[in-house]
Amino acid sequence: MRIICPFCGERELGEFTYLGDAKPQRPAADAGEDAVYDYVYLRDNIAGVISEYWYHGGGCRAWLKVTRNTLTHEISAVEPAAGAGAAKVGA
Amino acid sequence: MADFSWDIRSPLDRALVAGPYGAQGEAGVSLTEIRNFDLVQVMARRGKAGETIAAAKARLGAAAPETPKAVSIADATVIWSGPDQFFVLSKGGKHSIDALASVFAGSASLSDQSHARALISISGDKARAMLAKLSSIDLHPDVFGVGAAAATSMDHTSVTLWRGDDRNGQAVFNLLVFATFAESLWHTILDSAAEHGVTIGHSEDLA
Repeated sequence: MRIICPFCGERELGEFTYLGDAKPQRPAADAGEDAVYDYVYLRDNIAGVISEYWYHGGGCRAWLKVTRNTLTHEISAVEPAAGAGAAKVGA
Repeated sequence: MADFSWDIRSPLDRALVAGPYGAQGEAGVSLTEIRNFDLVQVMARRGKAGETIAAAKARLGAAAPETPKAVSIADATVIWSGPDQFFVLSKGGKHSIDALASVFAGSASLSDQSHARALISISGDKARAMLAKLSSIDLHPDVFGVGAAAATSMDHTSVTLWRGDDRNGQAVFNLLVFATFAESLWHTILDSAAEHGVTIGHSEDLA
């Protein structure tokens, strides 16, 4: 598998580290225990298209958000994650 | 307090043995470690990438690369190292961290990497063939021309690789590697280059 890093271009999988599902959002401070438990521990096991975080640690050290099909490994989109590249992502 | 007597040595001081290595005959690969350089990592602060590039241009007379490239100017090389960050490589203190601190005050964070990296210059007829064993980057001249750069990995070690100006009609590949990984990568490079014959040396001059 290869990932096209938006900063470096096409690179082999060995340069990247997998973090996981990019969907969970940190709940508000008063959201309650169930919401926090869900955020920390519970993940969907999707057979199909998933958005996930990858880290280009063997290259430009940017966090990336990759849209990948878990059935075919087809990658349909790669974008910088929030914070990767100070100018490109404001958040 | 104890008196320390610091003996500044290259990270490759033990591993590097100048002279021929590997297959006999004309060396296909030339390895030169470059010592005593100034290397400053410049990382733009959030939202200050434009200011950082403008400051670099005002100081160095050349735009800092925003894509994986290395830009050579009279007395320094500016090498892309990641989004909104680059290295300034020079000699003799003119662009040392002390000299650059005021240039990027307010726009970028600086980190002195002069003693944190080893710099290896690789050339020769078989340089590409040797590097092909270590790197997944396409180094064909059509793709990786003079001034091309990459933040990548070799032998599971993070490196900064760029192509300098040709010397004697031959491509020159420059490699920055973390000081503590330099000896390990050096041995891997020697293993890969041995079949082609190697000539090994070190220099104080930036190519």
